[in-house]
Amino acid sequence: MGLLAPLFLLGLVGLAVPIIVHLTERQRRNVVDFPSLMFLRKIPFRSTQRRRIHHWALLSIRALALALLVAAFTRPFFANDEVAIGSTLGPREVVVVLDRSYSMGYGDRWERAKNQAREVFAGLDASDRASLVFMGRGAEALLRSTSDRDRLLTALDTASLSADGTLYGPALKLAQTILEESQFPNREAVIISDFQRNGWKGDEGVTFPPGTVVKSVLISDDATPNAAVASVAFRREFFSGQERMTATARVVRRQGEAPADRTIVLEVDGQEVQTKTVRLDPTGSATVTFEPFTLSELYTRGSIRLDPDALPQDDAFHFVLSPGRAMRILVLEGGSPRPDASLYMQRALEISEEASFQVDVRRSTSLSAADLEATDVVVLNDTRFPQGATEDRLRGFVEAGGGLLLVLGERSAWQTGLEELLPGRFGPARDHTRGAARLGYLDYTHPVFELFGGPRGGDFARARFFRSRDLELGPEGRVLARFDDGSVALAERRLGDGHVLVWTSTMDAFWNDLAVQPVFLPFIHQVMRHLGGYRERVPWFTTGQVLDLADPAGMLFVADRERELAPDVAQVALTPGGGSVALPATSGPRFLELEEPGFYEIRPPGTNPERTLAIAVNVDVTESELESMDPAELAAAVASREASGEIGAGGEMLTPEMQARNQERRQSLWRLLMVAALVLLLAETAISNWISRAATLRFKDGRSYVPSNT
Amino acid sequence: MAVRERSSIQGADTQFLDPAVLSRISGLDLLARTVVDGFLQGLHRSPHLGMSLDFAEHRAYMPGDDIRRIDWKLFGRTDRFYVKLFEAETSANFMVALDISRSMSFGTGAVTKLDYARYLAASLSYFSQKQRDRVGLATFDHEIVEYVPPSTRHLQLILHTLTRVEPGRPGTLRDPLMRLGDNLHHRGIILVLSDFYEEPEQVIDSVRHLRARGHDVIVFHLLDPAELKFPYESAASFRDMESDTMIPIVPDELADEYRTLIGQHTEDLARLFTGSRIDYTVLDTSKPLDYALFQYLSSREKMARVR
Repeated sequence: MGLLAPLFLLGLVGLAVPIIVHLTERQRRNVVDFPSLMFLRKIPFRSTQRRRIHHWALLSIRALALALLVAAFTRPFFANDEVAIGSTLGPREVVVVLDRSYSMGYGDRWERAKNQAREVFAGLDASDRASLVFMGRGAEALLRSTSDRDRLLTALDTASLSADGTLYGPALKLAQTILEESQFPNREAVIISDFQRNGWKGDEGVTFPPGTVVKSVLISDDATPNAAVASVAFRREFFSGQERMTATARVVRRQGEAPADRTIVLEVDGQEVQTKTVRLDPTGSATVTFEPFTLSELYTRGSIRLDPDALPQDDAFHFVLSPGRAMRILVLEGGSPRPDASLYMQRALEISEEASFQVDVRRSTSLSAADLEATDVVVLNDTRFPQGATEDRLRGFVEAGGGLLLVLGERSAWQTGLEELLPGRFGPARDHTRGAARLGYLDYTHPVFELFGGPRGGDFARARFFRSRDLELGPEGRVLARFDDGSVALAERRLGDGHVLVWTSTMDAFWNDLAVQPVFLPFIHQVMRHLGGYRERVPWFTTGQVLDLADPAGMLFVADRERELAPDVAQVALTPGGGSVALPATSGPRFLELEEPGFYEIRPPGTNPERTLAIAVNVDVTESELESMDPAELAAAVASREASGEIGAGGEMLTPEMQARNQERRQSLWRLLMVAALVLLLAETAISNWISRAATLRFKDGRSYVPSNT
Repeated sequence: MAVRERSSIQGADTQFLDPAVLSRISGLDLLARTVVDGFLQGLHRSPHLGMSLDFAEHRAYMPGDDIRRIDWKLFGRTDRFYVKLFEAETSANFMVALDISRSMSFGTGAVTKLDYARYLAASLSYFSQKQRDRVGLATFDHEIVEYVPPSTRHLQLILHTLTRVEPGRPGTLRDPLMRLGDNLHHRGIILVLSDFYEEPEQVIDSVRHLRARGHDVIVFHLLDPAELKFPYESAASFRDMESDTMIPIVPDELADEYRTLIGQHTEDLARLFTGSRIDYTVLDTSKPLDYALFQYLSSREKMARVR
């Protein structure tokens, strides 16, 4: 119920008027002329008696009449949904959308939310039907259009919080579908949530059917102080032949009144390694850098934990780390190379922090199978292409996923059959006679140059190229860089699972000066990482993500050993909560949905390897931002905007004329109030007259006297 | 005799003595005649009952007595000189002192206290005129407002004065009564009609001055029934009619104490007046006038007997 003119409530101050009149003005109004007050003055004056209210009923009636008048002037009206609910006569289709994102675990929100849902279900009639939809990042209809109240309540009792974030769109869309499919004339959606703002984008495109009553039940708290471990960054160091990791955690605090000290703990493989104290401002963040720890084992599990607060789900951050693996690069220079043909490349690859490179330079072009087995990238630096069996092994190596970089120089020579291997046919060396050529085009969408795409990402234009070989691009080739004269500088061809790159100038300071430019080092690193198929391991995933463990590209993010996820081996995933997910051997995808925060273990059934493949999963930290939106905003966004959207008492659609009458009916309460006030005033008149007559002074002889001024 | 007369009036028709009935009579002349004739008819007395003719007693002749007063018949029978004493040898002065202060305009019944007093004054003046007394009138509040000297021909003037008398000002007793006493050189009967809203000592001091000058004083204390009973119930502001001051009153809390005080006041007045040999009568304005008339006759009788 609302008020059209709430300012009239100030009229309630007038309630004091009858009381004041009753207590003070009464005697002033009732004046009795008396011959002399000489005797009355001799009687002690009793002021308390004068203040006594004699006619409580009269006073109450006057005050009530005035209050009703004030209420009538405020023009009270029933809200649309109240009227609709009150006028519902037919059966209802009720959809309860219950938010079970982990933010609902703040304090006792989850229990309060379930109690609200229970109340809704308890209010159902026998002919009503209800659905229970859980809302997280996705939506789940636990029960759909059932009139079995017991099942609904049981489903509610067994429901538990998820580790999901909040997205309103899927759940509301599902509710919309259920309501649209319903044949019932009365539809009602009850959204029970903490209404986090970051879950609502406004473009979800959800519109409930016309006539749907949308009720929003806000589950919130007056203050929601909360701290969370937002992210963790790692820095690898090699010290004395060991790899050491330095973890830096970023802790955020949202809301609060005063700076607070929180304890933060680093755990490695379940052991508490370090404990620190971090001071957090009421709304701010802080970083905590722990001392380096040695990383020597695969799948080392780590956690950084804050001491728990009202929302414990976001107080722990998990990760899985493995020691870095050096990329093996074999550089073949041929029989009589220039002395420094590979010097710049070798030196550049030896300088690395994260992915280390192990460079082997050979002055021959012979390659054994064992060589290729232990090699990730083969570089043919200004030498003739191997022929015969070596060429075949090299082709097989590339097709199996290896990388080949062909650096063209003076000794490079085209030979038949290379068109099946290279991106194009290269020609003789060509001098750039009109001054040095420069790199004029770079494909920043390619992984090699992606790093340099941003501002100040590296100035390749400073490098001068005096000589290069022309490359006639083949149908399989792709140009990654061109000189400013349009000739190809770098081209790629995908061959099987591997890549072949052709660089049309040398990698030393002979044909160009790129090797002495600052961009050379990151450029050569990117080239090798691309060719070697390097993927940085992902230390953690977020709840709600789904991994396809059968996808080799995806596998690279989680596994260090290919055999661990071989498609012909059945696997089982143990969830952090103690459950298990079977991942049978199959040629198709093997999806693993990461639903719980913690560590997932993946191993063949019945085995217990020493270092199990582990995947760390964390909750979406954006969910820890507990700021609420106005529930009415969401309700208004999903409500139907059709003009004929109102429904009548019997569930029928109302015409505009009927809607106008309905609106007038909702606002017609003032008439009743006015009539009631008038009736009370009439009653007051009658009662006061009766009291006046009763107050008539009667003498013994039957004559009466009414004081003239009363 | 008084007992016999009182008993005879009890059977008389007293409707013409009811103030409510009298209030419908416009002329005081007619009203007085109605009252007195009706009253006397009920008494079955001679219309010429005059005290100046009433024989009182004989006493032995003393040197210096007027020899015309010697009862020669008694001398013939007893051979001694006796002098006949009459109750009034000459016609008396009958003066009405009427309080017309504003408080006298109070009335809760058919008539106010002033109306009642006018009826009484007119009736007794008419009655006295029939007795061949000289009648006079003085109205006063805090001073003498109208003064009609006693005369056998002033009845109509008195009635006219009574008709147009208007209450309006606060009143006191002492000054006007003192001045009235100074103006009356012949002793006579003075009837004082007032509500006596002064302290009893002040009242008796004012009236005693008339008595001291040899006048026979009859006091009628006029009170409205509301002044006697104080029957108010609703809380109200009570306004003094003479001073216009107001005080808030809760009657049901004060009524008993008020009645006690007014009763004490009348008792004090009665005691003091009696002590000064002044006839004092409290008159309830809701009661018929016969009671007042009887009181008057009774007083006149006592005066004559004493004389």
